[in-house]
Amino acid sequence: MQPRKVLVVDDSKLMHKMYEVMLRQYPLVYAMDGRQALDRLQEHADIDLVLLDINMPNMNGLEFLAQIRTNGAHQDLPVIIISTEGRDEDTQRGLEAGATAYIKKPFHSEDILEKISQL
Amino acid sequence: MSERSATEADPRARPAVPGLELAAELRSTLERAGELARVVELNLRETAVSTAAATADERVQELERRLATAESDVKELASRLVDSEHQGGRLMNLYVATYQLHATLEPAEVQATIAEIAINLLGAEQFVLLLRKDDGPGYEIALLEGMYDGPVPPYDGDSYQEGDAMVDATLRDGVLRLGPTAESQALAAVPLRVQNDIVGALVLNKLLDHKPILRAEDRDLLDLLSAHAASAMFAARLFATKDRKLRTLESLVKLARGE
Repeated sequence: MQPRKVLVVDDSKLMHKMYEVMLRQYPLVYAMDGRQALDRLQEHADIDLVLLDINMPNMNGLEFLAQIRTNGAHQDLPVIIISTEGRDEDTQRGLEAGATAYIKKPFHSEDILEKISQL
Repeated sequence: MSERSATEADPRARPAVPGLELAAELRSTLERAGELARVVELNLRETAVSTAAATADERVQELERRLATAESDVKELASRLVDSEHQGGRLMNLYVATYQLHATLEPAEVQATIAEIAINLLGAEQFVLLLRKDDGPGYEIALLEGMYDGPVPPYDGDSYQEGDAMVDATLRDGVLRLGPTAESQALAAVPLRVQNDIVGALVLNKLLDHKPILRAEDRDLLDLLSAHAASAMFAARLFATKDRKLRTLESLVKLARGE
């Protein structure tokens, strides 16, 4: 997959910078929590990939995922969860909530690039 | 029966023509020569086939050798590619951590960045940030992360005096130490320095469950934190203090002018 625009949802500015460096070939849009992410999706109709953290204030990643999966416009939007929650049941919960893939932090950049290319 | 004996047996036969015998002999010789030529031709063909087969075998062996070399080269290149990708990832982590530590002059944001590095890049679940107090002995517990059942000794007070042998040693001599040891459960005690002055320590007590050990590349990040976290924090605190003093002075000047 060659995404047109990627939405990065993470409450860490460090991670925003990390994605900026790692995914410099793609246009990125940032959100600090799930609520901001919903706004970004409204503002940018060409977002076709979401990188999503789970632990965030206001609206966490799983709540955001539940919202967009019930919305017809974003039901099939690819979402990669990237989280420090690393137990098997966390992965299972994320995938059951509608995530396309699940990556644990800390990660190697090639893990993310490979997952994107596999979509 | 040969032509000569037939002539001898039949007296009514025509007299021998001169040269006939010679022609017959020549024909016979030619026939034998033809046979010999066929034999030679056959031998030559067999030789050619066996030479071609030998050449083909050698060619196959040569190609196999080249294929093996190419496969070995591909493996070597793939291995180097993986190494360089890992190296690129390590450098990216270091760049991003350094950039973000120095991207702000807000002490709270610098502290948040230190925590984000510990969690997102090192995979730390429990850690403590100790900063030397400006007004008295001991260390302020500036950050305490991941102790969900409440702080445990020696981090359960307002400040840290002493209590973890490895941390105490690091705060004393400024050497980065990795644990756990017989005297300490901490996984790492990272001294925070401003030039040669030790102003605190970052103590990693537990990693995330899916990150069982600190890896070699994590050592680079720990060294970076040791060198940059404290100076970033120092600069931010200094800026905040100067900014506060400047505002106070400006207020006094306005007051003196009666504004």
